[in-house]
Amino acid sequence: MNPQILAIILSVIMLVIVLVLLRFYFLPEKYAVIWLVAAIAAIVLSVFPGVLDGISRFFGISQPINLLFVAGFFVVLLLLMQLSLELARTREQLRKVVQSIAADMERSSSGDD
Amino acid sequence: MKTLIAIPAFNEEESIGAVLADLASHHPLEHVIVIDDGSRDATFDIAHAAGVRVIRHAINLGVGGAMGSAFKFAARNQYDAVVQLDADGQHRPEFLSTLLEGIGRTDIVIGSRFAAGGGFRSTWARRNVQRVIAWTVSAYTRTRLTDVTSGFRVSGPDAIRLFSEHYPVEYLGDTVESLVLASRQGLTISEVPVIMNERAGGLPSQSIVRATLYTGRILLILVLAAFRSAPPNVTAMKKRVKRESAP
Repeated sequence: MNPQILAIILSVIMLVIVLVLLRFYFLPEKYAVIWLVAAIAAIVLSVFPGVLDGISRFFGISQPINLLFVAGFFVVLLLLMQLSLELARTREQLRKVVQSIAADMERSSSGDD
Repeated sequence: MKTLIAIPAFNEEESIGAVLADLASHHPLEHVIVIDDGSRDATFDIAHAAGVRVIRHAINLGVGGAMGSAFKFAARNQYDAVVQLDADGQHRPEFLSTLLEGIGRTDIVIGSRFAAGGGFRSTWARRNVQRVIAWTVSAYTRTRLTDVTSGFRVSGPDAIRLFSEHYPVEYLGDTVESLVLASRQGLTISEVPVIMNERAGGLPSQSIVRATLYTGRILLILVLAAFRSAPPNVTAMKKRVKRESAP
């Protein structure tokens, strides 16, 4: 079997997963763009591998697959970085919420306004 | 008709006092709620001192999150209508009665700056952005709407029930997305002309570039909204209603 078919199948599966997650409100709009772009880029690259060859030649990379690894790794690192920042922000918000609930509970149990 | 005026406010200490004072002559303040959306200034204290009800968010959730709280409050306290009013003085309370007259005819009534008879001075870019967004939403709702990003609107009982379950939270997209959500759940929408004041703070889409980004984001939200099913809370609510109405 032509390995290109496997690549196309995998990238289509990825797009379908993204769309299903979006449809049922699991994936918020905020993250939708990056995942839609990633899924569509994967489909384009698997259907037209010539694109990858062309870009590799431009950068002087002899094995196009190496470009894929470098670029893919870089994108994944960026996504991880974004996740770390989001997590930090969420923890900060959680801290604020817990502290404000605790303050309210103390106020209502001690009976003063 | 028991009507709640909901005022989402984030760092609005400069204008909230004047807005509430102006509102007092048009609506009883006991049926006004300010949602202090995590302000770091005196917004809460000023609103509290004015004698209105105040909900205070521990963190900033955005206008959508604030209105979500307001609709939950309205549903819990059996209100028949919720009017959203901005804390920056853009919306004029003398048009409250005009808005409320439309409830009963449709589930949601929007105060439009652009409908015949309305008035708002605006830049060229901003007007055209509004036009593109309005066309798209009109196509979804199958109603001719001219000002879909207007926050000055009233929601009737069915809309309160829907929005208390789910209100869109996406920044600056809550106004349009809520309309698409409502019309997909079978609610009807209409608009009446109103005159608005100039906003005190900065406009969200001043330059051409920002206007384009803003439009793109809203259009993306609209495309996604069309493709999406009902939010999980709404589906659960419909099941509950069906079960209760069954003999």
